[in-house]
Amino acid sequence: MLAFILRRVMQSVVVLFVMSLIVFSMINLVGDPVDMLVNPESLPEEIDRVRRDFGLDQPAYVQYWKFLTGALAGDLGNSFIFGRPALALMVERFPATLELATSALIIAITVGLPLGIYAGLRPNGWGTRIIMGGSVLGISVPTFWLGLMMIIVFSVILGWLPVSGRGETAVFLGIESSLFTLDGLKHLILPATNLALFKIAMVIRLTRAGTEEVMAQDYIKFARAKGLSSKRIVRAHLLPNILIPIITVLGIEFGTLIAFATVTESIFAWPGLGKLVIDAIVNLDRPIVVAYLLFVVALFLVLNLVVDIIYAVLDPRVRLQGEGG
Amino acid sequence: MNQLKLLSIQGLRTEFPTPDGPLAAVSGVDLEVTRGDVLGIVGESGSGKTVLGLSIMGLVDRPGRVTAGRIAFGGTEITNYSEAQWQGLRGNRIAMIFQDPTTSLNPVQRIGVQMIEAIQAHRDVSTDAARQIVREAMVRVGINSPDERLEAYPHQFSGGMRQRVVIATALLNEPDLIIADEPTTALDVTVQAQILRDMRRLCRDTGMALIWVSHDLGVVAQIAHRVAVMYAGRIVEQGATEVMLKSPSHPYTAGLMASMPANAPRGQRLVSIPGGLPQLSNLPKGCSFAPRCAHATTACDVLPELSPTSPDHAVRCVSPLQERS
Ligand SMILES: Nc1ncnc2c1ncn2[C@@H]1O[C@H](COP(=O)(O)OP(=O)(O)O)[C@@H](O)[C@H]1O
Ligand code: SF4
Ligand SMILES: [Mg+2]
Repeated sequence: MLAFILRRVMQSVVVLFVMSLIVFSMINLVGDPVDMLVNPESLPEEIDRVRRDFGLDQPAYVQYWKFLTGALAGDLGNSFIFGRPALALMVERFPATLELATSALIIAITVGLPLGIYAGLRPNGWGTRIIMGGSVLGISVPTFWLGLMMIIVFSVILGWLPVSGRGETAVFLGIESSLFTLDGLKHLILPATNLALFKIAMVIRLTRAGTEEVMAQDYIKFARAKGLSSKRIVRAHLLPNILIPIITVLGIEFGTLIAFATVTESIFAWPGLGKLVIDAIVNLDRPIVVAYLLFVVALFLVLNLVVDIIYAVLDPRVRLQGEGG
Repeated sequence: MNQLKLLSIQGLRTEFPTPDGPLAAVSGVDLEVTRGDVLGIVGESGSGKTVLGLSIMGLVDRPGRVTAGRIAFGGTEITNYSEAQWQGLRGNRIAMIFQDPTTSLNPVQRIGVQMIEAIQAHRDVSTDAARQIVREAMVRVGINSPDERLEAYPHQFSGGMRQRVVIATALLNEPDLIIADEPTTALDVTVQAQILRDMRRLCRDTGMALIWVSHDLGVVAQIAHRVAVMYAGRIVEQGATEVMLKSPSHPYTAGLMASMPANAPRGQRLVSIPGGLPQLSNLPKGCSFAPRCAHATTACDVLPELSPTSPDHAVRCVSPLQERS
């Protein structure tokens, strides 16, 4: 297990390095950040000074070298706009995004799993048709449009929930989160549901396909031949088998939840990473964009590793490569 | 009513709807099994043996179902049992073992869990008490060091060992009848012989009845007191094993015997019956075997009844073969 983890960490470092090179080259091709930093009516000398101050007058490879040596020391550069370290800004914003993505994931599982199992057990039922129809809708309707509709219906017309922003937070077990206050929950519910919708549909489909596949297996027939109740068969034989692929996919999807959160955060003015990076893109705030992209890559790498480990723990047949035996 | 009559089936018909109309996998089957009896059911693949077994267990895959006939078990009609009533019967009074031991056990649950649940589905016993029953059943089928085995997962066992686990599971609640659906087909010859020997001993010791299903008349002859030969969903010949082996009266049975390796004259190729099973959804009007039968005449255009030729022998053929000397 340890050898496996070590090897994966080394692979991850290589991937991160290559990604940093790609991201850095690409971003140097778009726009001129200095235009955003100075008053359009500034004198040429003034513009040159700003360019020098930010090191933007240097050749790209020098800039990259500076970035790389800084990154190895834990410094991803300063935001052009905020004038503060990009990493610190991201660390500040990350809890809000994590909270949103985690809530969305929990919603997706608690809603999607039972519906998917129901649909898988009764492939021809009426309920199944409604569930599957709903899930097609969930996948095909754009997130931003649904988000706006949700705001119009629940906030503007019904007035039940706040329109935007993050609510009060409270500290519980050393974690500061808006999950622990009523106001926080009220603010969270719309954006989390909005972010979850796509995933609910995905969980339903995955679960249904898994359920149909597992229920056709001989071991289910043998379990029924033992006289087990349907409840027991679902809990002891169906669930453990469908959870393996579902957890694998969801582990990876957690990364896309954080990445997709950019749209939801923009609609609901949720002060998370996504909003930070969208603003950074608009303002050509290169250090933030680079730091964010590298962060997302690192996140996917870590999630992949964690998923592989969970997979090995859940499925007794799986032995990780690099592990003896 | 004869007290010894354990299972009594009359006119059983099991159909699957298909686009070309209903497919009768089992049709007009009459069977009787007394306590302690070992009945062999023989027929080539697709002749309806498995569906017959599943019909007795109330486990026919939907949308297939029993459409006619009656099944009585221990003097009680069970044909129209509710799902809850079936659950009380399955694995408790009637157990079933399936063909492929590699797929009969849930890959992600420990052997112990899968066996203990079979007891607790029917009896209100503690897990410790159930574990003791499991240990005893394992020893009875020749599994050594049961305590270690209980903690193992199916993939850690050989095919033969897995089938022993399945057999031990079937024995747990001391059923009156075990339906063994080709339990040794997937195993090698040595293991098959051992399991046959063990099953014979178990039946003798416990007095439970056994229905042994196989496509191999040779295997059935080693264990069964009586044999029923199935062809295209119908029983075409039935009788005491010695009588059937000595004087097969149905041309199909005679063909099966001629194709047994033990009966081939040295140095000669095996004779196999020409042709294959007819399409079940489109059977010939009269005798289903007619297209392959060397003795077919116009008299065979009417479906023959299963009629006795001697007290312990019945055959479904208009011109049964004469007894061989
Ligand atoms: N679930 C099912 N759906 C449709 N047809 C089935 C199903 N199970 C069995 N059959 C049909 O019933 C017939 C008998 O099958 P089976 O009982 O498995 O034969 P055997 O066990 O003798 O090999 C086959 O023609 C098969 O196609
Ligand atoms: S009834 Fe006719 S076709 Fe059928 S087995 Fe007998 S002789 Fe052959
Ligand atoms: Mg079969």
